[in-house]
Amino acid sequence: MGLSKSGVLAAVLITGALLGGFHPAFADDEDEKDRAARWKQLQESIFPHREVLDSGGIITVDAPPRALDAALVPVELQMPSGKPVKGVYLIIDDNPAPMAAHFVFGPKADPRDLKFRVRVNAYTNIHAIAETADGQLHAASRFVKAAGGCSAPAGSDEAAAMADMGRMKLRLLGNFNAGKPMQAQLMIRHPNFNGMQMNQITRFYTPARFIRTIDATYDGGQVFHLDADISLSTDPVITFGFVPHGKGQMKVVAQDSSNATFDHSFDVPGG
Amino acid sequence: MRTLGIIAILAVLLSTGLWAATEPDGFWTGPVNDPVPTTIKGGKVIHTRDLAALLEKKDKVVLVDVSDAPRRPDNLPATATWLPVPHPAIAGAIWIPGAGLGAPPASVDEFFRQRLATATGNDLARPLVLYCHEKCWLSWNGAKRAIQYGYQNVYWFPEGIEGWRKAKLPTEVVQPEPTP
Repeated sequence: MGLSKSGVLAAVLITGALLGGFHPAFADDEDEKDRAARWKQLQESIFPHREVLDSGGIITVDAPPRALDAALVPVELQMPSGKPVKGVYLIIDDNPAPMAAHFVFGPKADPRDLKFRVRVNAYTNIHAIAETADGQLHAASRFVKAAGGCSAPAGSDEAAAMADMGRMKLRLLGNFNAGKPMQAQLMIRHPNFNGMQMNQITRFYTPARFIRTIDATYDGGQVFHLDADISLSTDPVITFGFVPHGKGQMKVVAQDSSNATFDHSFDVPGG
Repeated sequence: MRTLGIIAILAVLLSTGLWAATEPDGFWTGPVNDPVPTTIKGGKVIHTRDLAALLEKKDKVVLVDVSDAPRRPDNLPATATWLPVPHPAIAGAIWIPGAGLGAPPASVDEFFRQRLATATGNDLARPLVLYCHEKCWLSWNGAKRAIQYGYQNVYWFPEGIEGWRKAKLPTEVVQPEPTP
């Protein structure tokens, strides 16, 4: 009996010791300095000669501190202030192509809440930058622990993914009230190959093929335009807000790096 | 009762995925970032302090980093920001991405063989150290490949760059070799 108890105790102690020593202390001073230098480099490269202000209550960014799957990291951007926002950038500092997404909002958008999924290659800061209508940039950031999202195998069957490419679904979330903002979830089937994933059978890198732009319009009025590249996850899912005036059509057009165009119109039933 | 205790230990270790892997017969073709073994047949495992001492004592050690390098897609727009983070390596290392793949294309295998031959001056007795990241099979595969090429003093450094940096040992930023 005593042995069994001590056995369990030993197991707990050993596991604790291993877990404790397992994840390296990445957040030491050296790393902090590197991260600050990296962010400075990115600002200069992406927003040359422009000042990037702090969030100032304009924007927040949320992501799991430790991602379960580095190839599918959910991020949520919130811009609750009501101050008119022209667009928003998501930058994943340590990804080789750090600019993951740039949304430009149109007159039919409700930009207050935006969700999508990205690939994260390393323990990294992510920055969300809102551009207000008066041209100011406001940044919020978060540290994410994930690694290997860029070279993670595409997973499912490549041929099946290609066959399904461009299929879309739109889900309306919540209740319809004419003139009141509501959320919609757009799902697009696309492998979004980033060129760094190795085919497990051929042992060669699958050539990059990724969604470059998505345009959503509601009865002819722009909701958003998205510029993206290889950091968007396989099968993009984007949850966004828009303001329906009544029964209408949500049209989505996506174009990928091979110049394939996918479009679909969805009915938005009136209340 | 003793058996139960041992089973409990095993169960906890297995369930947390922390059980060190056993050496595969050939190259590892599973997930790259996975628990690694504690041994390598035909070579030696070296840890941080011993590696620092080896590099201090011998100036003819060939250090090879086999970490992955980001690959810029050909079809990424020219205007896209492509800014891979600087790659810190153990001071003096050469970086040969791809050399630790489980089943690399023949061209990569040949490139690695040639590059090692040049770096060692065709001396199979020269000490070689292979590393990448912690908990990363690429360096194990790379070391195994070097052993198969006939190198007699192959060291595998499983703590990788993370272990090296944690010990505050010198690093320098390197560019990758042009692996095909």
